[in-house]
Amino acid sequence: MFRTKKKNGDIELHGDIWKHIQPGEVVLDAQGITKRYPGGVLANDHIDFKIKAGEIHAILGENGAGKTTLMSILFGLLQPDEGEIYVRGLKVRFRSPEDAIKMGIGMVHQHRKLVPAHTVLENILLGHPKSRGVLKLKEVEDEVMALAERYGFEIDPRARVWQLTEGEKQVAEIVKALYRGAKILILDEPTSALTPLETDRLLESIETMTQDALGVVPFITHKLPVVLSISEKVTILRKGRVVDRLNTAETTEQILAQRMVGRPVIFNLQKQPIEPGEPVIQVEELSAKNNKGVMALNKVSFTVREGEILGVAGVAGNGQHELAETLFGLREAKGGRILFRGQDITQASVLDRWKLGMGYTPSERTEVGSIPDFSLVENVTMNYYFDNRYNHRGFLDYGGLRKLTEQVIDEFDVATPGPDVPIRTLSGGNLQKVILGRVLSRHPKLVIANLPAQGLDVGATEFVQRKLLEARSQKAAVILISEDLDEVLSLSDWIAPMYEGEIVDMIPAEKAQKDTIGAMIAGLHQERGS
Amino acid sequence: MTLGGYEFRLQRRATLPGWKAALFSILAVLFGLALFSIIFLQAGQNPVEIYKQIFSYAFLNSYGVRLTISRFIFLALASYAFIIPAQAGLWNIGMPGQLYLGALASFGVVYLMGGKTGEMTASQPVIILLMLTAAMLAAGLFGAIAGFLKGKWGVNEIVVTMMLNFIAFYFVAFMIKDGGPFMNLGGRGESFELPEAARAPMTGGFPITLWIVFILMVMLQVLFSRMGLGYQIRAFGKSPAAARYAGIKPFMIAVLVFSLGGAIAGLSGYHYFAAVPGVYKIARTYGYFGDLAFYGVICGLISLGNPVATLPVALLFGGLSIGGRYAQGKLHLGFGVDYALMGVLMISLVAFQFFYNYQILITKKEKKLDVAISD
Repeated sequence: MFRTKKKNGDIELHGDIWKHIQPGEVVLDAQGITKRYPGGVLANDHIDFKIKAGEIHAILGENGAGKTTLMSILFGLLQPDEGEIYVRGLKVRFRSPEDAIKMGIGMVHQHRKLVPAHTVLENILLGHPKSRGVLKLKEVEDEVMALAERYGFEIDPRARVWQLTEGEKQVAEIVKALYRGAKILILDEPTSALTPLETDRLLESIETMTQDALGVVPFITHKLPVVLSISEKVTILRKGRVVDRLNTAETTEQILAQRMVGRPVIFNLQKQPIEPGEPVIQVEELSAKNNKGVMALNKVSFTVREGEILGVAGVAGNGQHELAETLFGLREAKGGRILFRGQDITQASVLDRWKLGMGYTPSERTEVGSIPDFSLVENVTMNYYFDNRYNHRGFLDYGGLRKLTEQVIDEFDVATPGPDVPIRTLSGGNLQKVILGRVLSRHPKLVIANLPAQGLDVGATEFVQRKLLEARSQKAAVILISEDLDEVLSLSDWIAPMYEGEIVDMIPAEKAQKDTIGAMIAGLHQERGS
Repeated sequence: MTLGGYEFRLQRRATLPGWKAALFSILAVLFGLALFSIIFLQAGQNPVEIYKQIFSYAFLNSYGVRLTISRFIFLALASYAFIIPAQAGLWNIGMPGQLYLGALASFGVVYLMGGKTGEMTASQPVIILLMLTAAMLAAGLFGAIAGFLKGKWGVNEIVVTMMLNFIAFYFVAFMIKDGGPFMNLGGRGESFELPEAARAPMTGGFPITLWIVFILMVMLQVLFSRMGLGYQIRAFGKSPAAARYAGIKPFMIAVLVFSLGGAIAGLSGYHYFAAVPGVYKIARTYGYFGDLAFYGVICGLISLGNPVATLPVALLFGGLSIGGRYAQGKLHLGFGVDYALMGVLMISLVAFQFFYNYQILITKKEKKLDVAISD
């Protein structure tokens, strides 16, 4: 059928190893994969993992469970210290992704690896053998379109990548991998940036792939319902080990979460009924431009009261980010005004907004929300250097700030060796806990939380959400910006779906329906509701 | 990498204690000296003898030490002028211009008080204080131009400070040339000489500017490690976006750091032309001091913006520039050898800072070797 020759460890394939593939045949078999990082962290501890042709086999784990390491090993980005990988029974050693791709493994990254200024077709060709010599663009385009049609993907091969939505970018990456000849497709957080509609479409496409005997391996941290709907089998990782292998038909979300986190997770957050108080923030016809100078926020108006959470739902790039930045003074308002507790703050500085009792947790946690090289103490200082309690006539009370940091670490359950290490050494979830803890420790009257749980694992997500509800109980007003409809629905008192810079409707939580809102944020619901 | 059955690996350090950083710097200097001795050997000279001459003149000879200390003061001030904006992530390479503005302003005070024509009657402390104030004000304002343009419109500060240097050079030339207001009566293309009362007093054989250096060291150390303002400058330097989010005002930071940096550069100008015995006038070859001021950039970079660490670095290069020139003349070494030696040492110091961030792990090679480093 095929044979290999090894020259300096090089894999030379003769013939197609993917001929005559039968559904149900084991196509990828990883045995005893072990990876140790400098400093003795055991990221993967003898992980066994098998996938058959035509199977969807999810890998589930919290941040830091070893998912990324395993994924990188399967795709040749990392090499295991111990363990072996077999593709269709053939022992392989991937020295780079190039080797893995040759063996039919494709990967769709969560953080898209596409060149924004190039067209979809050019991106698909990048690194492809057909990109050598003279380009036969027409021929490639026809082949790509045939492939896309086969799996039900809608794709414009001549569109530039920067024009695409996150969902379209993902489709481009999947088609790219398939066009390279992937028979085993690794998907990193496949649904995290998609609208409900896009998610449904993706699931259908994946279904078609399995009929073609492809093996699909989605790696998932949050969005557990997706695991249940998408996969037949699930392997759960915790602390670098396989803790369970389950058939999804026989399990529930609750069980998955518990196995993954190692303790029971409360999904139904306790939202106490609270009588809303005085208006905290009143926004009147607020407009702002995005970084490209285009009007991205168009005459938005709303009010949030004490003890209320306003959930701003929407797909990335519909003005939510500009809204958050304009509210906090990081972006210039091009029209309208903002009243904070009755005071016009449209022109107020960021510093004044902190002092007045506003708080903001940005979605860009490492670029904006924290200073990676600074210690935890110095990062907490970001919200206190101007505060008379810690700034005595120009001198900072670093002793007091250190104590405050220790309180944040304690109260927010931050895993860190101590308050003096650089914050870049913390995992994403712990970093977000420090940022949120720092902001909430000021007891702000208004919290603007921009994608507070994005990319966090189930445990950290629940923690962050619970803290936002706590702030609400303490009579703070909260503006929650989120792309996750479930999150918006479970936390908010009011829901504001955003589409193309406008708030489509203001819906009280008790009347909110997921599919209606899903349609609104996808631009399918033009007429205004009640 | 493997070598002779041993495996060499690089590993990123989390932290580095201060004494280790100092140790690496000393090793770097020794390495640089050893490396440069190849050049001496190749020219048939004895490197040990040369180094002995350089260091004994710079640090042991009573005349040489005074020159070294003078040079050290100048370099330390130029370094501080660089460090303050550098902590905010901004590059001040306008020290040459700023120091001349400072020097001209302090000479201007003397000129206005009649010091050029010998009619000055004010007491020495008053004159000295006025000269220092004028130097800092003028140079600070001159520096602030770059900060203002940066903060207001984001104009590149490197270009602005560099171009302002040329403007300052023309201004000096205008003031001291024949017929210029500050011209030397002897018509030598220099400025007039400062009268006795306008010369900086000496303490223990060294100009009082030495004290200014130590006071500034303490002040800068306190500013950056204890004060809210220093925190804002550092935060802005590490991440302008995060600083803005925290409410720090970029315009204020840019103007402030360039004003402070410029003011300190002005002090270095004051030092060189009004406090060093045997000078007391603005020299004809103004370009030379400009070159020297650029060593402030390098001293600041080598000390990674640390005001305390700056002093030994400035002392080393102050001494080398004096001792190197002396040895070159005495032993008839090749032209430019003193500068080349300093250059090699600077590169060596910067190169050794690799070890501030990384350590090399050497382990005995195991049978199974499959190490891949990625990301």
